[in-house]
Amino acid sequence: MAMRGGGGGGGKGKGKPPAAESKAEAAGKFVKVWTTWGMKKAKVAAHWGFIPLVIVVGMNSEPKPQLFQLLSPV
Amino acid sequence: MGASVSHAAAPPPPPPVAPPPPAHPLGLAAVLPPQTEEKDGAAEKVDYMNLPCPVPFEEIQREALMSLKPELFEGMRFDFTKGLNQKFSLSHSVFMGSTEVPSQSMKTVKVPTAHYEFGANYLDPKMMLVGRILTDGRLNARVKWDLTDDLTLKINAQLTNEPHYSQGMFNFDYKGKDYRSQFQIGNNAFYGANYIQSVTPFLSLGTEIFWLGHQRKSGLGFAGRYNTPKWVGTAQVASTGVVALSYVQKVSEKVTLASDFMYNHMTRDVTASFGYDYILRQCRLRGKIDSSGCVAAFLEERLNMGVNFVLSAEIDHVKKDYKFGFGLTVGE
Repeated sequence: MAMRGGGGGGGKGKGKPPAAESKAEAAGKFVKVWTTWGMKKAKVAAHWGFIPLVIVVGMNSEPKPQLFQLLSPV
Repeated sequence: MGASVSHAAAPPPPPPVAPPPPAHPLGLAAVLPPQTEEKDGAAEKVDYMNLPCPVPFEEIQREALMSLKPELFEGMRFDFTKGLNQKFSLSHSVFMGSTEVPSQSMKTVKVPTAHYEFGANYLDPKMMLVGRILTDGRLNARVKWDLTDDLTLKINAQLTNEPHYSQGMFNFDYKGKDYRSQFQIGNNAFYGANYIQSVTPFLSLGTEIFWLGHQRKSGLGFAGRYNTPKWVGTAQVASTGVVALSYVQKVSEKVTLASDFMYNHMTRDVTASFGYDYILRQCRLRGKIDSSGCVAAFLEERLNMGVNFVLSAEIDHVKKDYKFGFGLTVGE
């Protein structure tokens, strides 16, 4: 998935104390990196798991179909 | 989807809505005549407190889209849907034919492709899950979940193996007594919202706004729909410079005529099309002619219970591009 939110932490440097500024930047970067990591994992999970999820939900619905019906062509 | 007017001019990222609407290939879709739950009203006083609920904003042009934009294809198509129980079914689909590759020159470049697509559908009154996966690893997923009586969550995603090509969109729909509102979140930091309200028993007006984060683009659009049992007219204007009008007339029980006009101010592109839709006992025939020199027809013929034969033809006289397709659809 494409990354969200463009360059938020770029150098603002207009007389703010460097320590406070870099803490805010670091926090922002931290959130962004972990959100991107989360989105990537979610995308992989959805890609692999969506069809199995539909099949599991379907096989557990009433009336319960048999397993061989899933695989046989008739 | 009606939202295509605003999104069409915004470059690639939002899930392409110009291609056929999420009309799921569940056989011959019964065409609902444009209806209002309206008391036959000769001199009926209009009760403005009890107006019917309008159609969802993205379906504002649905009659025109159903008649004018059938799923044309080129090549051979075979679809088999196997129901395991009332709610759950599996589908297998084989396609062999050419697909167009976008090219810079005027000549159309076609690449022969073949794929097998496996799908699983679960349809419940409260929840609908539809997933389709192709042999090259692309997944098309659609989820529609009624969280409460009025609030619905819809998810539409196309996931691919190639990085940065996947698209997803989350929609939260709220349905009120005579209005509907929707909030959308998509990939590439796309945010959108729309709202549609019934103003009279026949007229509904809506508006939408969207913001594309990565390109810092935003847009605003307005739409109106006038709906009578015999005809439906819609108009949409967007700040991206797109104007779209459509008119659909139900001439008789079996025949519907539709016309459509789209003007894009940015690209100075004008397209008008006119089409017909015959729904007969054994078949459904749709045909259309375009101002860009394109003539198309689509026939779905019911050979037997559950077996449909499909023929598709599209002739583009300007680009000298001829596409013919045939296929068979087995199962509901």
